[in-house]
Amino acid sequence: MEVVYPGHVKLTDKEKTNICYLSFPDSNSGCMGDTQFHFRIRRCPGRRSVVQAHTDYNKDCPAALQSVVLLSKLPFVTLYNYIVSVIAPEYFDNGEPCLEAACHDIDQWPDPCPGETLNLPIMGTVVQVRLPSRSDKVLTSPQIKNPSVPTMPANNILPSVSEVDVYSAFLPVLPHIQMLWELVLIGEPLVVMANSPTICSGTVQALVSTIWPFKYCMDFRPYFTIHDSEFREYTTKTQAPPAVILGVTNPFFAKTLQHWPHVLRIGELAVSSPKTINKLKKVGTIKTLDSKPGYPDKEASGGSECNALKRYLLELTQSFMIPLERYVASLMPLQRNISPHKGPPRLKSFDTEAFLKTIEHSGPQLTSGLKGDWIALYRRFFRSGNFEGWLRFRQEEVNQKLQALHLEVLCQADLLTWIQDKQEVEIVDLILRLREKLAKINENQLPVSNDMLSRLQHHHDMIVCSLPEDLQSVLKSNHGN
Amino acid sequence: MRYSDILIMPYENNLERNSVLSASVAKDRIITKFPQVNPLPLYNSIRTLYFSYRLKICKAVLVGDVAVGKSCLVNRFCHDVFNRDYKATIGVDFEVEKFSILSIPFNLQIWDTAGQERFKCIAASYYRGSNVVIVVFDMSDISSLTGVTQWKEDACQNASDPLVFLVGTKKDLLTDTSYGTVEKEAIAIAHEINAEFWAVSSKTGENVKEFFFRVVALTFDDAIQREAESMKTRAKQIGNDFIRIERKQDLYDKKESGFSKCC
Repeated sequence: MEVVYPGHVKLTDKEKTNICYLSFPDSNSGCMGDTQFHFRIRRCPGRRSVVQAHTDYNKDCPAALQSVVLLSKLPFVTLYNYIVSVIAPEYFDNGEPCLEAACHDIDQWPDPCPGETLNLPIMGTVVQVRLPSRSDKVLTSPQIKNPSVPTMPANNILPSVSEVDVYSAFLPVLPHIQMLWELVLIGEPLVVMANSPTICSGTVQALVSTIWPFKYCMDFRPYFTIHDSEFREYTTKTQAPPAVILGVTNPFFAKTLQHWPHVLRIGELAVSSPKTINKLKKVGTIKTLDSKPGYPDKEASGGSECNALKRYLLELTQSFMIPLERYVASLMPLQRNISPHKGPPRLKSFDTEAFLKTIEHSGPQLTSGLKGDWIALYRRFFRSGNFEGWLRFRQEEVNQKLQALHLEVLCQADLLTWIQDKQEVEIVDLILRLREKLAKINENQLPVSNDMLSRLQHHHDMIVCSLPEDLQSVLKSNHGN
Repeated sequence: MRYSDILIMPYENNLERNSVLSASVAKDRIITKFPQVNPLPLYNSIRTLYFSYRLKICKAVLVGDVAVGKSCLVNRFCHDVFNRDYKATIGVDFEVEKFSILSIPFNLQIWDTAGQERFKCIAASYYRGSNVVIVVFDMSDISSLTGVTQWKEDACQNASDPLVFLVGTKKDLLTDTSYGTVEKEAIAIAHEINAEFWAVSSKTGENVKEFFFRVVALTFDDAIQREAESMKTRAKQIGNDFIRIERKQDLYDKKESGFSKCC
């Protein structure tokens, strides 16, 4: 590694080795000229967070194989690919000052804030991007990007920070698109074999995006090589293949991963047959839906092919998601059960069998024309990390909302009247609950207005004052700690 | 000194209401006065451009020797601060200033480049597409004037016919007599490189705001004219002879007199 910018960044030796190996071709198979792709690595010190890297290497002269890698924790694939494509040629021509200047540009970028349109200076131009926001996801009416009027003229307007061109990525395997969607949804081990890192990383990224607005919760490596520190872990034959999606180029993997249930080959692999083969190898059928309808080409008339494909995938995912959302909504406690004298209510637990019963009359068949064994697909989904991740996120979200509702009720309640005929124990209990709330608010765990906060504090102080003096002092000293 | 040619333009409220950006424009970035040119047809074409969202970005680059005060100039204008400690710029500093010109939103990108030799190699990519080149020199160090022509040439090479300004900084350090000498030399060079000369002090703030407002107003005017030109070409391509092009032509021919005029 020649240089690392900015200078204060510390990478462990293992991270460095991984980055170095991943920044270059893993095989001799047909990479010509400049190649651009991205990969993910595990961060070392126990933290399992993953770093995205975007590489552009210059292969004009094999003796001087150079590579520029941009590392980031944020999954803004499209943006970073663009940034690397701007920086790398400058670096290959002008060397280090270019990286210094580029890092300085990036230092001046505003903080990423969901839903905002940012103007990002880089190497003399300004890139305009809009960061996605949670409120973008509209479940009832699938919304695919309207080219809206930019608020400020800019040199380069990127339509999205992270959306990949699913259409070009899936073009070779379009007839199988629905099966791929199923595999990703239920978190099956899947390997993409292609002849260039650009293709395999693009395809892997497109795969994980098919189940949006679900988040793909398992590990995925857009580009994975035999030198990767997780190579053993992921290729072991002593255990079942891990629930990950790998993108590889080295033909060696065809052998190493032959026990994997799903292999997606894209394009012509070196050495093998001269014909272009795009096929999905399946070991043991997991087909749950009739894949016959496949990708409806006719719908393409509505817009560009890419948008039609995105809409198709979104509708498919939403058909699957809506019953889940509806069931979660039914688990919400009733408004009248939110009492100021009890703790905040929580979301009831998700009962998969009870959910599957609801599917019989109001399942995805209502919104999707697809026939097939939806129940089996849900069962597979429940066993996957995607379900776990989705449920945990929904629970946190709902519980936070319930906390806020409870807080509102607590603020409005006439607590002083209520405590008049109560035992001291109950009153102290109430005080402790109020304190717990106040602490949470102070830690920014609850979204509360200042007005509400001061009212809550007032309630607390008044109740403490209503107690006998000795108890007051105990509570006060206790509060100090 | 050059307000004689500034006109007061009509202020249209309906434009204001339709504007997304003007709401976020600072009060002291609103330009209601406008230099030169026949105002009414110009204003009409601005309106057209505004409503079709065709206004281009405006990019200004500052170039000049090390430590002549490029960053100080920008900091005085953008943040109204002056820091006497010297801190070398790494690569390029970037600012966007939002203006409301005749109640039309307009943004000026300011690219404040490093004067250091080691960043020369990357400069070309930062100059690319500039509409304004601001060559800065230190009036208290006359030797910094010698590089000016080269800076201008380098910067203009990668820009497309930009407006050029020559700015002498640190005016507060000069006595009246020494200022007279420097000004004379600077004006001569300004003529040579077809630039408008300004003398400023970032420390006292003298002329800083006036200078940038002048830059913005002229650039805006330039952008409008370019747009009008391209509309003309487009109209020609379609072959629409009903649009009388000649009328516009003589209107914008006056442009040249707008700048390259010195004190």
